[in-house]
Amino acid sequence: MHGINLFIYLCNVILICINRYLIEKTMKLTVNINLGGYAFNVDEDAYERLRQYLKTIEKEFSGETSSAEIISDIEGRVAELFKMRLNTYKQVINMKDIEEVMDTLGSPELISGSEPAGSEPRTASSSRRIYRDPDGRIFGGVCSGLAAYLNMDALVMRIIFAILILAGGFGILIYLLLWIVLPEARTTAQKLEMRGDPVNIENIKESVKREFDTVKKKMNL
Amino acid sequence: MNTDNTKAQMRKGILEYCILAVLSRNSCYAIDVINELRKAQVIVVEGTLYPLLTRQKNAGLLSYRWEESPQGPPRKYYELTEIGKIYLNDLDKVWEDLVESVNQIRGK
Repeated sequence: MHGINLFIYLCNVILICINRYLIEKTMKLTVNINLGGYAFNVDEDAYERLRQYLKTIEKEFSGETSSAEIISDIEGRVAELFKMRLNTYKQVINMKDIEEVMDTLGSPELISGSEPAGSEPRTASSSRRIYRDPDGRIFGGVCSGLAAYLNMDALVMRIIFAILILAGGFGILIYLLLWIVLPEARTTAQKLEMRGDPVNIENIKESVKREFDTVKKKMNL
Repeated sequence: MNTDNTKAQMRKGILEYCILAVLSRNSCYAIDVINELRKAQVIVVEGTLYPLLTRQKNAGLLSYRWEESPQGPPRKYYELTEIGKIYLNDLDKVWEDLVESVNQIRGK
């Protein structure tokens, strides 16, 4: 009796997995955005990528008085490039479109001129900062972030925290405090800073590619 | 030594001059300027141009007008102002002097 129940349960789990897989394969959520006065439907992952890109550009020009104008020019051009890619049979902007548009426009550093094309990596911004690591997290990414900062294995950090927690309960308090105090490494530049890698085009490109690959792997699961 | 860096710096130095030179012929949309510069291999990505155009416009060298576009939002068409023309003339002279200087040094 027990065996049959278990069998039915396992079958159910497998069916649910197949179902999920099919839904993810065939349907993707889209986001509706307004760019240069035009509405576009953008795949969720592509939207996230575009948002990050435009945000980095915005940051690059944050000190400039005419930053709003420059950004609206760039957004207008992105809208134009999107329009060129859409037709009756293709109504949604996907990741490939975004990648192509970013290739055409260039990296935020190239656009702002803070990084002359083909130059040596900047060393000024190779300073390290502590962040919470959202990619390797179990709870808040505190251990993972600290480990990245100290250049050690996240597992060792977790064991240290586990010992602290078991030893007197202090660990939980420390963890929660760090969770509140430490900012999360959201942008690629922050993630590079967390690992102590210099923030330059090459590193950002590599890191973005790595992120993209993991996302792709997750989608294919 | 990395020649790429030197090359990039040299290109960057003449970029503003080249933009003004392209616009001196007729008023253009940013993409026309890009295409011209790309043909001459002065620029690689088009994003570089937008901040430069805005800065030159704010410096009074350029003016622009909006024009309808068959594709997407209206486009900005830039052209040289009187100040821009004088500025470009100055730069023309500077460029000729530079070429002469470099030729003289290389000729030795």
